[in-house]
Amino acid sequence: MNMYLYELRMNRKSAFIWMAALAGIAGLFMSMYPTFAEGAEQFKEVLRTMPEEVLQALGLQIDSMATLLGFYSYLFLYVLLCGAIQAIHLGASIVSKETREKTADFLLAKPVTRSKIIGMKALAALTILLITNVVYFGAAALIAETVQRESFSYSAFVLINLSLLFTQLIFLAVGFAAAMLLPRLRTVLPMSLGVVFAFFMLSAVGATTGDSKLRYLTPFQYFDRAYIVQHKEYELEFVVTGVIVIAVCALITVIRYLKRDVHVS
Amino acid sequence: MNLFWRELKASRKSLIIWIIGIVAMVGAGMGKFASLSGSGEAMVELMADLPKPLQAVLGLNGLDISTVMGYYGMFYLYLVIMGAVHASMLGANALAKEERDKTAEFLLAKPISRMTILLTKLSSVVVQMVIFNAVMTVSSIAFAAPYADGGASAVTSDILRLMLGTLLIQLLFASVGMAIAAAGRNPKRAGAWSAGVMLLTFFLSIAIDIREGIEALRFLTPFQYFAAPDVLNEGLSAAFIVLSIGVTLAAIAVTIAAYRRRDMQV
Repeated sequence: MNMYLYELRMNRKSAFIWMAALAGIAGLFMSMYPTFAEGAEQFKEVLRTMPEEVLQALGLQIDSMATLLGFYSYLFLYVLLCGAIQAIHLGASIVSKETREKTADFLLAKPVTRSKIIGMKALAALTILLITNVVYFGAAALIAETVQRESFSYSAFVLINLSLLFTQLIFLAVGFAAAMLLPRLRTVLPMSLGVVFAFFMLSAVGATTGDSKLRYLTPFQYFDRAYIVQHKEYELEFVVTGVIVIAVCALITVIRYLKRDVHVS
Repeated sequence: MNLFWRELKASRKSLIIWIIGIVAMVGAGMGKFASLSGSGEAMVELMADLPKPLQAVLGLNGLDISTVMGYYGMFYLYLVIMGAVHASMLGANALAKEERDKTAEFLLAKPISRMTILLTKLSSVVVQMVIFNAVMTVSSIAFAAPYADGGASAVTSDILRLMLGTLLIQLLFASVGMAIAAAGRNPKRAGAWSAGVMLLTFFLSIAIDIREGIEALRFLTPFQYFAAPDVLNEGLSAAFIVLSIGVTLAAIAVTIAAYRRRDMQV
């Protein structure tokens, strides 16, 4: 319990900064929604003249962009981007902190098993992400209520926001595993940013070219928001993919953490 | 000179990983162009008519993605981001790592001035960014050429121009990262601050793309200095070249002033 509370305390400040950043992005972008929606009628005129297959090829229900959920779906990509950085950075730094800061001998000399240590660290990371999501959801709902012009589907809104949590869990697990597979990692941030932006770029390339197989490669595409808005549910195959990624990463982490050599000098 | 090689050697591994990542990304990205170029004509017409915010959503901003260079311009932004991530981390860590890894005493006890240390580290950072940039340039040309009508010669000049812009942005972020590390109090936080500045300017850039009427803010974010549509249509903007070099020099000046009098944490 001590370890759990200690980890929470150590990460408190950065968690607050991330919450502010996530809510700030949602606020910044949503503040543009009213002007965006005003121009929407003209957009729709232009769009009606386009052949359907062209719109399909773009992989976007452009018509829905003018609605609050449509616009929110778009900006949410950047919320996900930030959330992913937070999660992978949290995951990689929380399990590698002792080896990086040379306090591993101190921690491992305590009368607790390694499995307990890793369990507590994982629990602390999950708690932080959960709190982040609750705070973000509150802020996003408040912002959406403020700028809405006509009522929107609340269940789709909730599902979209929940996908932040799931995407963060995936990146958290990836962060854990990356820290285990790169034992000599001295700074976590470059790795975190590099991995997240690489996935982000894959996602952008996939979205522009409308490639469906590429979607499995990048967690940013596991929860397609256009699909959520339309069907009010997630796509099962991608949920399963996400769960598999988390399970594999968690397995790697536990196995490595319990057995690895820790250099203390 | 020893210090210079030591610096390069220390970051050799991470540079190699970055290079592999960049080449793979350019390869994968341009590979997708093959599947796209089939559905050409209708696309071109659509793109021209799309309103600005929608083009921003698709990452187009006036680019015709049915052409090689238009498509390349679409994902060029992500290459710039990768360059910016690398540069801001490298710049901040180059100075901060000595204090963080508790090697500052060892280094500062050597019979070389802080100025020499700083300039050597700066030049090693510059060399790494030039290598990074060269790899991006060569792989871009290599992967884009097969799709261009005129082969490599058709895309080379455009790509060289875009990559020159990228190099200026890399230098800017690296020097800002160094300034943050030199002037900031906590060496462990230098990387985070540097990344924060980078992400903030990135989001500002997206906001400028979506919202019409705030173009005046473009000078605040390097991601807007050499945006692909502008570079491809009009070449590099002289004003932004001067601005980026100016910011870089100012950041280096701050770095020098701060690092020489820095109270090292040992």
